[in-house]
Amino acid sequence: MALDFLNESPLVFPVLECFHIAGFIVAVGTIAIVDFRLLGFGLLRQDPEELARDLAPWTIVALGVTFMAGMGLYMSDPDMYYLNYIFLWKMAALLAALLFHYTLRGRMLRSSGSLAAIISIALWSFVIGGGIFTAFV
Amino acid sequence: MLLSFALWLQATYFFTELRLSTTVYPAILSLHLIGMGLFGSMIVVTDLRILGLALKKYPVADIALQLRGLKRVGFVLVITCGLLMLGSKAEEYYLNIFFRAKVSLLLLVGVHALVFHSSVYNRLGETKLGEQVPARAKLAAVLSLILWLSIMICGRGIGYIEPPLNIHAGV
Repeated sequence: MALDFLNESPLVFPVLECFHIAGFIVAVGTIAIVDFRLLGFGLLRQDPEELARDLAPWTIVALGVTFMAGMGLYMSDPDMYYLNYIFLWKMAALLAALLFHYTLRGRMLRSSGSLAAIISIALWSFVIGGGIFTAFV
Repeated sequence: MLLSFALWLQATYFFTELRLSTTVYPAILSLHLIGMGLFGSMIVVTDLRILGLALKKYPVADIALQLRGLKRVGFVLVITCGLLMLGSKAEEYYLNIFFRAKVSLLLLVGVHALVFHSSVYNRLGETKLGEQVPARAKLAAVLSLILWLSIMICGRGIGYIEPPLNIHAGV
């Protein structure tokens, strides 16, 4: 059942979308800065582990904003999303990306940094692309 | 004149195919947003560092200058995908009020660069670690965040304007 207040004004959905986009730019971007550092681009004078710790508060707050806005978007028309197979793929990729980010990635930073970076960039790109393709099914 | 160019452009074989594709078009839009994740965050992190809100323990010029390369790569990705989408729906975009606002804001980004590039961004090295950046630099950072956020909002708005009927008639 859709939450009705989300459908009362035509402005609610686009405003939530803007929060969702601004949120993921900061969330995925702060993760990507560390990933690119691991691949040899960008903040090369900084230590990857330290950089990841420095940016972590921005990542988690932005992930929270993105998630809350995304929940709003979802609840405005849950049936449409739940039945959309691309959306389900996006959720699977999101779960994988979050699990990877908060478990394995930290341990891989020192030993196999470039592999961690490639997995991370691939997973998050898949999540973003999944969001777009959800609207095109 | 611009409108007739728009009509000609979107009617070319390349852009007609692009507009009608159910996979290539969303793929380009996805790359546009992935690019935004890269480009946007480089801007946000640079500006947050100038404002002293992130990565405070590193010198401001150290962060800003090292992120320039990635920022440019992200910008090229975003603008390339943006131009491809623009070309495929040129007439619709030409008439779209949010697109017009977005282009105006992008021109303001150019003005921002003219005003602040040499007076702020190229002089960040003068601020040593632990010192306050000049007020002018903070102003540049705040304006940059406001401009790019507005551009993102206008970009999202473009999709909410219904094109006039029969806009792609004849293709």
